[in-house]
Formats: sequence, C-alpha cells, structure tokens
Amino acid sequence: MNPVLTFIVVLIGLYGLATSKNIIKSVFCVTIIESGVILLFLNFANYEGGAIPIVSEDVAAIVDPLPHALMITTIVIGSAVTALALIICIKVFHHYGSTEWAQILRREDVK
Amino acid sequence: MIYVPAFLVLIPVVTGILILMFRNERMYLLAFLAQTLITVLAVSYFFVFRDDFASGAFVLGGWPEHIGITLANDRLSMSFIFLTILLWWVVLFYKYEPRKTDHSFLFFFLFLQGVFFGLLQTNDLFNLFVFIELTTIVATVLVGFKKTGSSLRAAIYYLLINTSGILMFLIGVLLLYNVFGTINLLHIRDNMEAMDSERLVQLAYILMMAGISIKAAIFPVYTWLPKAHGAAQSAVSALLSGLIVKSGVYLFIRMNQMFAALSLDYVDFFFIIGALTAIVGVVFALSQKDIKQILAYHTVSQVGIVFMGLAQVDAMTAHGGLLHAFHHGMFKSLLFLCAGVIIKVYRTKNVSEIRGVMKTMPFVSAMMIIGMLSITGAPLFNGYISKSIIKYGIEANPFQYAALFAVNIGTAASFIKASQIFFGEKPLSYAVKKRPPYVALAILSILCLVFGVFFAPLSDFFFTVDISHVSILSARGILEYALYLIAGYLIFRLIIKKDGSLIQRLRGFRPSFETANYVFVLYMAAMALHFIVL
Repeated sequence: MNPVLTFIVVLIGLYGLATSKNIIKSVFCVTIIESGVILLFLNFANYEGGAIPIVSEDVAAIVDPLPHALMITTIVIGSAVTALALIICIKVFHHYGSTEWAQILRREDVK
Repeated sequence: MIYVPAFLVLIPVVTGILILMFRNERMYLLAFLAQTLITVLAVSYFFVFRDDFASGAFVLGGWPEHIGITLANDRLSMSFIFLTILLWWVVLFYKYEPRKTDHSFLFFFLFLQGVFFGLLQTNDLFNLFVFIELTTIVATVLVGFKKTGSSLRAAIYYLLINTSGILMFLIGVLLLYNVFGTINLLHIRDNMEAMDSERLVQLAYILMMAGISIKAAIFPVYTWLPKAHGAAQSAVSALLSGLIVKSGVYLFIRMNQMFAALSLDYVDFFFIIGALTAIVGVVFALSQKDIKQILAYHTVSQVGIVFMGLAQVDAMTAHGGLLHAFHHGMFKSLLFLCAGVIIKVYRTKNVSEIRGVMKTMPFVSAMMIIGMLSITGAPLFNGYISKSIIKYGIEANPFQYAALFAVNIGTAASFIKASQIFFGEKPLSYAVKKRPPYVALAILSILCLVFGVFFAPLSDFFFTVDISHVSILSARGILEYALYLIAGYLIFRLIIKKDGSLIQRLRGFRPSFETANYVFVLYMAAMALHFIVL
C-alpha cells in the first residue's frame, strides 16, 4: 500500500472532525485518524517481499519489528480512549437527551 | 538509588490500586505514606545526582540505551517533579476528610501523579506519547468526576480534542523514526545536524508542535480549557490548571531542545501566538461572571505570558517564562482551592451574587488576596519576579512591551472585578460550620511569598541560573504596578460594570466542537506556511 493513500485516511478523519456535528461521529473520526496513523507506521516499516516479524529460519527477511510493537500499544490505548468516550457519550445523552454538539454545548449550566 | 525514576512512576500507581482494592477507612494514611516516600526519594535523588544527572539515567529492562526506554532527569524535569509533589501534597491535605474517604477519587488522583512523573522523565518519544495519552485519559475521568451534565460534556470535549492532537504528535514521531531510525530523544538531538531529509523533519516538528499546542492550550486551540477547568471540581481544577497544562509548556521546551540544530525560526511565530493567547484569555476573562470561568480564562492568558517569555532568543527571558510557569502553578492552584471553599459555602459560582466573604471567611479571603496579588504581579509576590524578567527581556521592542502591558492591565481589571466578592453585606442565612482547609491554603500562600522574596537563592538552587538582578522594591516596579491597578480600575468602572451588549456576546461565545477542530487544522496549515513555505 502507498503511504500517500494511508495519509489520506488521516485527512479523512480530520475532515470528519471538522465537519461532523454529533459526538458519536466525532468519536468515530478520532478512531479513523488512529487507524490511519497505525497503517502509516506499518507502511513505513514494510518493504516488498518482507516477512512478518516473528523469529523463524529466515531472520534476514523480516521487516523492522519495532513499529509493530509500538502499534500494538497504540491499538490498546485507542480502544481505551474509544471505550471511555462512548461511555461518556451515554452519560451525556442521559443528561441532555441529545448527542448533538450544538445542543449540548448551548445549554446553560444547571445549578 | 538508580531505580528512583521507575519508583516515582510505580509507587503512586500501585498505591492507587491498593486503595481501590481495600476500600478501607484508613486508606488515606496509605496515600500520605506513599506521598512521603515519593518526596524522600525525589529529594535524595536530586541531592545524589545534582552535579551529574546523566549518570542517574535508568534504562528499563536492561536493554542497550538506543533500543530500550530510558528514564532520565535533568534540572528542568526535577523542578517539575518537585512542583508536582508539592501540588499533590496540597490537594491531599485539601481533600482530607476523616471518615469520608472517596477511594475511587484517590485512585485516579494518585494515578495521575504517577503517569505525570513518567511524562516528565521518559526519554523515549513513543513512551512519551503513551504517557501523554494516559494523562489525558485520567484527567478526563477526573474532569467528569462530578457526573453533572456540564462536567461530562467538558470531559468528552477535552478527551476528543486532546486525543486528535496527540495523534498528530504520533505522526511526527513516525516521521522522526523514519529519518533517524531511533526514537530516543537524546540520540535524535545529537544526530539532528547529520540528517539528510530536512523537509520530513520540519513536517515532524509542525505535527508535534500542533499536538503540544493543544496540550498547552495556546491561542487558536485553547477552547477546551475553560470548559474543562470551569466544570471540574475545584481540587481537580487546581491540579489541571496548576500542572497538567504545564505538560504542554514542558514538552515545548523539550522539543525545541531536541530540534535545536534544525535552526527553525520558532521565536517570532510562538511569540505572536503567545501574545494572542494572553490577550484573548484576558478579554474573555473580563467578560465572565462565573468565578471558575474567570480563573480558567486566566490560565489561558498566563500560559500566553509563559510562551511570550519562552519564545525569546535571550536565555534569561526564556528562563523568566519557565519561572512564570512554576509561579503560575502555585498561585493558580491557591486561587482555585480558595474559590472551591467559597463556592461550597455560598452555593453559587456567580461573582455578582457572592458578597461579604471577608466577614464570613477571613482566613480564606486573606489567602485568596495573596493569590490575586501574585497573579497581578505585585512586588514581594512571586508573579512579580517572573513577569519582571520577561519584561526586562522584551522592553526593547515597543510592540512586545505594549502587549505585555495590556495583558497586565487586563489581569488587574479582571481581579478587581473578582475582588468584589470580599466586600458588602453578609447575606448568608446559615452559619458556616465547616472549617476551611487551613494547611493546604497556608502552604501555597507562604510559598507564593517565599518565592517572591527569596527568589535569587531558590533559582540558583533549582536551575543554577542567577536572577539576582531583579530588585523587588524598585520605584519603577511599584509605579508600574500602581499604574496597572489604576488603569484596571478605570476599565472595570467604565466598561465592565456596565455589562454592554459586546460583553454579553463575548460571555455567550461558545465555539462548537467541529469549529474547534476546523481551527486546529487551520493552525497546522498556518504553521506549515510559516515554517516550510516562508
């Protein structure tokens, strides 16, 4: 895959963040950016004909394992962020009856 | 002794988990114990490796240094560690209520301290990303801890915008790894001159700075800060405003050290951004009526002043900016904690409804006045020292000096407005039963005074920078402070008190989330235009 194509995935996510008016969609857009970043990392590590970075007989052919290790961590962190964001979404929906940014941000503080 | 950097990260986290596991009455003592242990370890580490911090670096897992994760310190990170320990002690005392321990709050509270130590000490860029993201997640939970509607919406706003910023930082890390083949901060710094593809490194600089700007809440991307700090409970606001925002300032210094050999012209750009941040923060603070919103917008403006100092070629002015970050950590936490006590008693946040605090709570109002004097830069208080160093550095340039002067006047006006709460009649129909947290407030206010009077030996001790040229009781300093107060009072009487339609419109200005992200993309484009094209 071409690094330019994966960078376009990141840009799609940024475009979505700058236009979507709903919390859930914003959460998805952050996830899309993250997927783009992960693909970008793996792209830079990969080369034509490289083997997966698991130690076997053909050690010389394997690609750089470091980006793979880093991206596992990123995926774990990303899932934590998504889970937390979605839980807060549910709570916000219980309080305001809506998940539209414009509607929840416009409300005055109740107190 | 060599394991201390790892213990600083582990002890708070493990203690937090223990507290959550054994939900016990006496668990608060465990938190105090852990905090004492951290303090002893950090202080002894500082004294052992004071002359040679490089020998105190610790490589996790016994790997070679260019592969493994290194935890290392220098004077900058050690000073931030001391400030962290201080603020956590203060909030621990502030929240201490026998027989009413909130275990899950203590867990997140201690966890945040651990990951913040990690952020300060790590020398590995990816590990840095992990710690930044962890601080964001834990801070999100703490912002939304009250579970009211406004705190939850602030929490999700905070989480999403910071995550998208930090992912840009991660792309920068990727580009650096691609160019240098390592993600060790020191190795990249040493090899910066030898790199071959300048464009990619510049792009990495822009992306990383964009992420850091969101963390530091500077001008176009500051919108999350007033929401989050205004909606969280006061103890959390004190930590976030006092310290977590400073992670952006810390990373700004670190990254500019790393990219030093690239000779990018970041000075002009970030000075303008800093000045805009300071002015915009003050203008919004003047329009607000909610006391926590006022304080939160002042965090924005003070971070702007910090950046005005940091974005200077002159090393002394940059040191002034750094010192201001530390002093701001002390007085802003003091102000937030005092405001928290007042809000709890009066059950409202509106400054035009709170009256007569001087009579109901003399101790708290004395402490709050110390905080206000510090933030407006009165002589003998710590805000004066750092603001003076920045002022000396930029007074040769009239535009820069005018910007700082305007911000100081605005700050004075805004705190004259906030100080209305002290006077007037006592409208409370009920008696104030609860004792104010004497210890927490006293520690911070005494430190504000100590750092304002004995600044020269303290700066020499922590940073080995000599700032004894600042004179506390010069005629010029006092005269300028009087000028700020008079001009601030006039602005308050003539403009703010009338509450015209413009001020009302500013108060109601709430940018939506997609607008904030749109502005973030534009901000990155502006940086690209400045650093690559021009």
